[in-house]
Amino acid sequence: MKINDFLPDFITRHVLFALIFGGVCGIGFILFLIEFDHYTSTEEFCTSCHSMELAAEPYRQSTHYNPQSGVRASCGDCHVSEGVLSATWDHFMGSKDLYKQLFGPDYDDPVVNALHLPEAAFDARKWFKKRNSATCKKCHVKDAINGYRPDTLQIHQEDAKDKTCIECHYNLVHRKIPDEKTFKRDKWNAMIEEEFGLEKGSAKKILEQQD
Amino acid sequence: MIRMVKIFLSSSLCFYLLFGVSQSVLAAKVTLDSSSWGLEEGKACVDCHAKSSSGLTHQWKNSAHAQANVNCLDCHQAYEDDADSMEHEGSIIATIVSPKDCGRCHETELKQQQGSVHTKAVDIIKNRMPALAEHFGSLSINDAGCAKCHGSEVKVKGDGTLDSTTWPNSGIGRINPDGSKGSCSACHGRHQFSKAQAREPAACTFCHSGPDSPDKAVYETSKHGMMYEAHKSEMNMGSDSWVAGKDYSAAPTCVSCHMGAAGKMKSTHDVGMRDSWNLNEGVSTQQYLVIFEDGEKRELSTSDPVPRRGESINKMDGSMGKVKAVAFPKRRRGAMTKVCLECHSKNFAKNAMLQFDNVVELYNEKYGKPAQAIMQALYSENLLTPLPFDEPLEITYWKLWHSGGTRARHGAAMASPSNTWEGMAEVGSLFYGKFLTQVREVAGAEKAEKLIKQHINGSEHHEWLNNPNKANPILGYGKGSTNEN
Repeated sequence: MKINDFLPDFITRHVLFALIFGGVCGIGFILFLIEFDHYTSTEEFCTSCHSMELAAEPYRQSTHYNPQSGVRASCGDCHVSEGVLSATWDHFMGSKDLYKQLFGPDYDDPVVNALHLPEAAFDARKWFKKRNSATCKKCHVKDAINGYRPDTLQIHQEDAKDKTCIECHYNLVHRKIPDEKTFKRDKWNAMIEEEFGLEKGSAKKILEQQD
Repeated sequence: MIRMVKIFLSSSLCFYLLFGVSQSVLAAKVTLDSSSWGLEEGKACVDCHAKSSSGLTHQWKNSAHAQANVNCLDCHQAYEDDADSMEHEGSIIATIVSPKDCGRCHETELKQQQGSVHTKAVDIIKNRMPALAEHFGSLSINDAGCAKCHGSEVKVKGDGTLDSTTWPNSGIGRINPDGSKGSCSACHGRHQFSKAQAREPAACTFCHSGPDSPDKAVYETSKHGMMYEAHKSEMNMGSDSWVAGKDYSAAPTCVSCHMGAAGKMKSTHDVGMRDSWNLNEGVSTQQYLVIFEDGEKRELSTSDPVPRRGESINKMDGSMGKVKAVAFPKRRRGAMTKVCLECHSKNFAKNAMLQFDNVVELYNEKYGKPAQAIMQALYSENLLTPLPFDEPLEITYWKLWHSGGTRARHGAAMASPSNTWEGMAEVGSLFYGKFLTQVREVAGAEKAEKLIKQHINGSEHHEWLNNPNKANPILGYGKGSTNEN
């Protein structure tokens, strides 16, 4: 009895080998993606670029890094979607950051980094909004938010009923940046100049040079 | 002739500004159409804030604002371009509600308040502040002390937040991100903004207390304060119309005399307008109130030349302004006296004012002027370093005019006998007991005697020093001697 007896004629031995090989490779690839997504979502991986280390500094002071509960959210927990396909897509799209890190402005320079930070924040907020704050909701359940105030639960159930987390809760983890609508570039530049002891007007020049 | 007409016009304008005779005696009503407030978007604020900050929401619910359907957003709304604008739950708002914001509805009050001495509270101490705050404390004393009454210059950081050293602050001369000066909530505590509360002496004595401005102690130990304490319940504080002698007569509060309506004189939010003396300098002078064409105002000492109408002179901030009118001290005194007349006779009021003037002049001549002249001489001859407060004599002089001198003069202004006397006694003790001794230490015997001879010896005020044998038992002289037995 040969294996061919159970299979249609067009499944030749070669086809069968190809299928098995392809299947194993496929499973391997998916497993690879899962591992890849997992690894590339870690703080260790993200901060292997110095520019991201700058973003991580305030994160390490935040309650998402130091919650009383001990449940620490790492970079990917917030910034990478759930599910292997979505996660892979996010990483694929995120590779533009890598491109910019390599060929764009010198984000490793704290001044350049701080000057470009607002636009990055605006993009990130849009990302959250578009996904209906999905990554927040992996941990936070609106019906279970019991804050310090007695009315916190009620506020979330009634007043924030039609809102998504990011609409109210921004500036939680990283450096404080105003909403895009009220953001004033000249004021931001002036603050960074003062912070780094730079000459007035130099921030604008740095931005122009880098672009 | 033209000059005469100008003087006439100018003085009629002052009369109008001070007494407002042609206007209603009621507090100014908001003339804006009610469709201008009650923003739909603002109604949602209340729901959430009733839970998240129920205290302030409760205060607002008890306010006249709530009754008139003025909601959170009506006052807190902002434009995206405003310096301190921020996004909050989908709305563009600002934390700080400046006088300019309040003035959207309360136009009359804004007009009176802008340019008033209260809005100059930061400018007034600009020179004094570094020496006081930094030498006796540090900048944090300014933030939590000086600026809490005088006002901070609120800074908005590049990240849109308010600089923590300058906010929170509700100082009366606060410089706001929108450029306006002052803070209505200095007196009208937020979020109820009760007029009854603002008419209470405590609204003023929150700042006007202690050696800098001892008016809490002064008022409480005056007949006015005594009557107020006993008859609080008869003050009709919450009344819409609050005219002295008509709507209440139990006692005057600070507001009654300094800004309240009386008879045909209407109330004003220009608090310093009725003050004829400057009582917060080393030497007091009577002062003109110069009103500029743009509504800005400044005080000018009567020792300065009188500015003419139409003339361009320096404003408080250094920029030039065209003079619209000048209110003379007599006119300002007249406005203040109008309030007295609701309860006192003309002569009573006039004599009370004379007693006050006499104390100020006594202080000036006996202590204020000679002490100032001696200090100036010591500075000009480099016997004192220019740096304030690094020498004991400087601290003595500061306490002399600023603590004792202010207490005596304010005491006399508001008829507190104990503060008038004790203030003057403090000045005297410091002058004879410490100041002159320290002048001798600083200047050396010869130089000091020359200064003392020049500024003190000739004066009738110090003649008593020439009779060392004039005995008095107050300090025990003669007690226990055989003569007494």
